[in-house]
Amino acid sequence: MRRYCLLLALLLSAAACGGESTATTSTADAAATPVGETTTTEDSGFPVTVQAANGAVEVVERPTAIISLSPTSTEMLFAIGAGDQVIAVDEFSNYPDEAPTTDLSGYEPNVEAIAALNPDLVIVSDDLNDIVAALTAIQVPVIHHPAAGSLEDTYSQIEQLGVATGNLSAAASLVASMQSEIEGMVEAVGKVGEALTYYYELDATLFSVTSETFIGQVYALVGLENIADAAGGAESGYPQLSAEYIIDADPDLIFLADTKCCGETPDTVAARPAWDKLTAVANQMVIPLDDDVASRWGPRVVALLAEIVEAVLTLEGSTP
Amino acid sequence: MSGLRLVDIVVAYNGAPVVDGISVQVPSTSWVSLIGPNGAGKTTLLRAIAGLVPFEGVIEIGQQPIAAMSRRRLSQVVAFLPQRPILPEGASVFNYVAIGRTPYIPYWGTETTEDRAVVEEVLHRLDLAEIADRQIASLSGGEAQRAVLARALAQQSDILLLDEPTAALDVGHQQQVLELIDELRLEQGLTIISALHDLTLAGQYADHLVLLDNGEVVSEGEPSAVLTEETIKRYYHASVRVVSQPDAGLSVIPIRPDRTVRGAGI
Amino acid sequence: MDLQPVTTRERHTAKVGVRLSIIVLLSVMISVLLGILVGAVGLSAGSVFAELANKVPGITVDSGLSTRDSAILWELRMPRVVLAGLVGGMLAMAGAAFQGVFRNPLADPYLLGVAAGAGLGATLAIAYLPDQTQWPVSPLPLAAFAGAVLGVVVTYVLGRSGARQFAASTLILAGVAVAAFLTATQTFIQQQNSDTFREVYSWILGALGTVGWGEVVLILPYVILSGGTLLLYRRLLDVMGVGDEEADSVGISSAGVRLAVVAAATLGTAAAVAVSGLIGFVGIIVPHAIRLVIGSSYRLILPVSLGFGAAFLIIADLIARSVLAPAEIPIGVVTAFFGAPFFLLVLSRSRRFS
Repeated sequence: MRRYCLLLALLLSAAACGGESTATTSTADAAATPVGETTTTEDSGFPVTVQAANGAVEVVERPTAIISLSPTSTEMLFAIGAGDQVIAVDEFSNYPDEAPTTDLSGYEPNVEAIAALNPDLVIVSDDLNDIVAALTAIQVPVIHHPAAGSLEDTYSQIEQLGVATGNLSAAASLVASMQSEIEGMVEAVGKVGEALTYYYELDATLFSVTSETFIGQVYALVGLENIADAAGGAESGYPQLSAEYIIDADPDLIFLADTKCCGETPDTVAARPAWDKLTAVANQMVIPLDDDVASRWGPRVVALLAEIVEAVLTLEGSTP
Repeated sequence: MSGLRLVDIVVAYNGAPVVDGISVQVPSTSWVSLIGPNGAGKTTLLRAIAGLVPFEGVIEIGQQPIAAMSRRRLSQVVAFLPQRPILPEGASVFNYVAIGRTPYIPYWGTETTEDRAVVEEVLHRLDLAEIADRQIASLSGGEAQRAVLARALAQQSDILLLDEPTAALDVGHQQQVLELIDELRLEQGLTIISALHDLTLAGQYADHLVLLDNGEVVSEGEPSAVLTEETIKRYYHASVRVVSQPDAGLSVIPIRPDRTVRGAGI
Repeated sequence: MDLQPVTTRERHTAKVGVRLSIIVLLSVMISVLLGILVGAVGLSAGSVFAELANKVPGITVDSGLSTRDSAILWELRMPRVVLAGLVGGMLAMAGAAFQGVFRNPLADPYLLGVAAGAGLGATLAIAYLPDQTQWPVSPLPLAAFAGAVLGVVVTYVLGRSGARQFAASTLILAGVAVAAFLTATQTFIQQQNSDTFREVYSWILGALGTVGWGEVVLILPYVILSGGTLLLYRRLLDVMGVGDEEADSVGISSAGVRLAVVAAATLGTAAAVAVSGLIGFVGIIVPHAIRLVIGSSYRLILPVSLGFGAAFLIIADLIARSVLAPAEIPIGVVTAFFGAPFFLLVLSRSRRFS
């Protein structure tokens, strides 16, 4: 009896040890130039390893049961053609429409709820509740793509997702088209933006962003000057301004990123005490943005830039 | 000049009667003292007269049932000194005594010169004028008791209800306060109803004693009639000797019968 | 009877009253002046005074301020200072009234569930009424107000049980229970709507950052009604100092006085909380500090609390918006900073006397 158990134990441990080196063959993709910090063991085929914020993540085969707990990652996945590989996205992933939204929470991720869906790849933007460690412990590949600090981060995240989901070429062409669109818009604006100031509103208590942040850098692309950069507390990247400060600075443009969450509109802004004295209000240069577009760092950042450019050109067009 | 009449008073807490059918007559300007063991219902009866607890039965003051009086009117006729009066922190003696004028001041009004004159007079009478501006918390026990008495007198009511007015005082102050009350009674024609646990003092100062036990009147009358060794033994379960001093009233002396004293006995 | 000592005393009281009034008025004026002179945008004192002078009929002076700066002064700073004064005065007076009616120097206007009720109301509005700017009147203050009043009503209904109906201790216990329940409910709702956390939290900490004359007009009638009523009850609060039973025995209904005072104070507090969030410590510190200086007579404490409470909150708001300008420290944080050393002071003083 004892000998039998020992044999069983030996067999089991051998099986466990042997598991990691199983390689599956898959159709080799057209070899794309290895990008960023990704490495492939076979030429663009699986298994692949990407260097995400949680270190090296190995994806063994082309995933067909992806769960995204990050609205931005969801947008990226669908934009690179990996949409049909996605089985579930978190409650706030509301774009595109076809994304399979569920109750899963990106803020309070429940590892059991996630595991119950049998994913073969999970993407998160915040490592809350030790979700990364938990998923790694149950051997679900998890990629941690935190909020981008710059456009370069955005591109590299898109490319990594392309590698990880087997949509390399689509990812590469998305990045290329984003880059060229952005270039084109910057050229169209030319020097015009450099003479203009703007105020970017995060919420009704007047929190703003500096040019150091991701969103601030987007505005900086067209040369706009941010009134929040000079404010006290700007080191955090998200200073709170006061009504007096904003009125005194009298920005040429005002962008509202609190339209969906808090119902702010150009009219409500104009109704604030003393705000009607602002030139931006008088010139109707209070631009409402889609909160979601403004708070994500995915492919739609191009659309965001387009709105900014449109505002700048309108303003310049209407002043002789 | 108001006498009181209590007819079949019942006061119950949570269904249990604490005062169970008490009838007493209190002639005007007399001093009636309620006595009895702890829990007999003395304090409760006083509170009923002061309108502080609901009761069944009739209490009349000068033939007017108090149930028909407004709280304000009642407090103009009856002043109540509780056993443990609350002395508001930081109040001056003057302001504290002035609270006794409340029954006469319009609800949202303030004291008039007359009100203040009454307070001054009372303070004078009770020898508190010198310390009128001191904090009441800084007074000695005797002074504080006089201040509480002053507050009651400021109410200018004919009837004074005193719940254990001497409880916290030393023997000297006990006598002082009770003498003072008796003087005032004679001066101003007050009617006094007191609850006293000290039987000697009760006997020495009250005209009429009412002995309560378990919410009922078990004996009443002149002190010499009520304060007998058998009565006290029966209701207080205490051994005492009642001694009559010539020209000095009754004394109720607790004794310890088993102890033998060598030498001279009493 | 010689009326000389009486009239001497009356004259003395009157003199004290006049002196106090002058001090209080001066404090309010100075704090208002500081409040409108200090701000994220530097406006010179000269131009501010010129602007003020301009408002006096018959005087026209050119202050030299641009339209924008003038708007900052009249539409931002001035209403903010006025509102801070109204809220501070109201909370301090309500706190003093609660201390008197519960005979407890640590009572504050939030005691009977006002704060918890307002917090729950605000949370419900923030979580379940999105798009608040579409409403003709912002629903947040209304919800907070309704919640505050409801909290106190429930406390009173519960306070009916117990040996003595509406006794001070019964009400306080009921208030604790109600506050605990409402706070738990609020936390639960916040958990269900995690995106509301920041907004609710910043509302709770109190802010006067986005107020204008609209908010002043909104709360003014409540402050006048509530404050006026409380001032009427000043003497009765002193009478309440002898306890419920003795107060009843001198001819007032202690339960009735308590109800009236609580109702009036709650009304004013609810209005203050509705526009400015939960600003703590004003209701305790100001009346208590006043008591340490001028004694325990509510006849004086109540009106002086009104004045000093106003000055206190105006200064606190000034600090809140200057220290980290242009960012604003939530005003509740500033008042709390005053709170800790204050209570230590009270503690040390009480140790000296015991």
